[in-house]
Amino acid sequence: MTPLEILSATISGQPSPRVPVFCNLLDQGARTLNMSPEQYFSKGEYVAEGQLKMLQHYGHDNVWSASYVGKEAQLLGCKKILFAKNGVPNVADFVIKSWDDISTFEIPADITQHYHWQSTAECLKILHQEVGDTHPLCAYVTAATTLPVLLMGMDKWMELVIAGPIDLRDELVRKCSDFVQQQLTAYRAAGANVIIYANPFGSTYFVPRKLIVDWSMPWMQRDLINGVDNIVYYCGMGPLNTVTELVIDKLKVNIFYPAPEDDLTESKRLINGKGLTSGVIDDIKMIHWTKQETRDEVKRIMELGKPGGHFLFGTGFMPLDIPEENIIAMLDAAFEYGSYS
Amino acid sequence: MFDAYIKDYNEAVFEIDKDAALEVVETAIQQGVTPEQVIFNIIIPSIEEMMAEIVENADTNLAQHFLTAQIASEITEKMLAKFTVPPEVIGRVIIGTAYGDLHSLGKRIVIGCLKSMMIDVIDLGVNIKAEDFVDAAVAQDAQVIAISSMMVHTATGEDGSLRVRSILKERDLENQIKLVVGGAPYRFDPELYSKVGADSWAADGVTASKKIKQLILEVKA
Repeated sequence: MTPLEILSATISGQPSPRVPVFCNLLDQGARTLNMSPEQYFSKGEYVAEGQLKMLQHYGHDNVWSASYVGKEAQLLGCKKILFAKNGVPNVADFVIKSWDDISTFEIPADITQHYHWQSTAECLKILHQEVGDTHPLCAYVTAATTLPVLLMGMDKWMELVIAGPIDLRDELVRKCSDFVQQQLTAYRAAGANVIIYANPFGSTYFVPRKLIVDWSMPWMQRDLINGVDNIVYYCGMGPLNTVTELVIDKLKVNIFYPAPEDDLTESKRLINGKGLTSGVIDDIKMIHWTKQETRDEVKRIMELGKPGGHFLFGTGFMPLDIPEENIIAMLDAAFEYGSYS
Repeated sequence: MFDAYIKDYNEAVFEIDKDAALEVVETAIQQGVTPEQVIFNIIIPSIEEMMAEIVENADTNLAQHFLTAQIASEITEKMLAKFTVPPEVIGRVIIGTAYGDLHSLGKRIVIGCLKSMMIDVIDLGVNIKAEDFVDAAVAQDAQVIAISSMMVHTATGEDGSLRVRSILKERDLENQIKLVVGGAPYRFDPELYSKVGADSWAADGVTASKKIKQLILEVKA
């Protein structure tokens, strides 16, 4: 079976030879091609080449079309990204500088015509041609209730969410939700078949459950009005066990990507065969773990997650500081302990 | 007499209802509570209750922490202006985000908590060079440097906490200035703080302010 077939079988509960193994390598692509991050992310063909080379080198299951989260901010007018030699590109220009900017803020009429979409489209086109039939092609979409973080900063957005004028808050989220719908359509049309739907404001680590029920959930339903196929519920490494049943009930999403701190046994119990659970390794600890510690953690996760199937092994967004030997140790262990034979 | 105020205030904060929290303080003032009593008998005890809640109840959330800090800070500033005698400041902290990091939520939470605990805070802002942290701490006679990092590379990179530690060592300042860190990467790896040369860390702003207070007292002892 191909990695894509293994993933499909796992989602639908059919037999498969092993657990799908997702390794989210994004920033490593620049190093692989011996480029600066700025140069690497400037063209879709570079990102695609980096993804394909890393796929060949490490042998994991998935490739990524999204180059960095700030790309969404650029599609919405951000003029400056702070690139770092050793880490994730950072939004350095907030489109919304004061609440007054919300009324004049506009989303693109068609993001597929936007300059900053072209590199994403180019990357997806190449990946789709090369491995679209065999491997999961991942895309990253930030939920409408979280997207304003990229536009105004987390603290300003948190202020507006919990203490600001409700009409202003929701005017911004409505615009963002329109943008999310556009992105989902564009990614699907371009061949992405796994869409990470990221919403820290859908985790009780960030906001109270009541706010999720009363406010985040209706907006998530609006974001996903065109379907939840291949949507992965992810809270930006925030725990999600406390909302899993709610999400299954109200959103009908059935693929979950919990945080490492979520109790995996509890995640499996909550999802209870109604969808796919992911066991996510704490890849920040991998920076300082030994190879053996890395292997031991993979084994632990697999032993908890494998029984009953419906299980995927995954990483966070692997920091660049993780030693190469630990990436290899993790993947070796994932294939070894993830086998069903 | 303050228990009822503390209870109402904390309920408002836990419901992330800023208006209701401010109303509790306003009512207390109207009923004859002094500005000093608002700080020392309502705000500080309510923060301490929040600490206990964080330990006992994992379901507290970032929004509550943020609101706790912001309201406490706002009220403290208002009340301080009305104190009959200027309060004794416990110590001074230089705070900012690590070089290359532009995320300021965590920093704001810590600042709010520190201010309400009578600790003087000098906020250098975001994307701060290691040298600037140390220079500011020396110039302002601060006992603690606090560095916030949202991203892994700004926590572990050569230009962040590691560099500050190295400068403190070079200038023989390690006994006079303590170094604390905080932010998402440290939450995922609770041992990370020591690997980046920090003296301490905390997972939330309320605990951070308590640990910083301890370090200030150690330096001043």
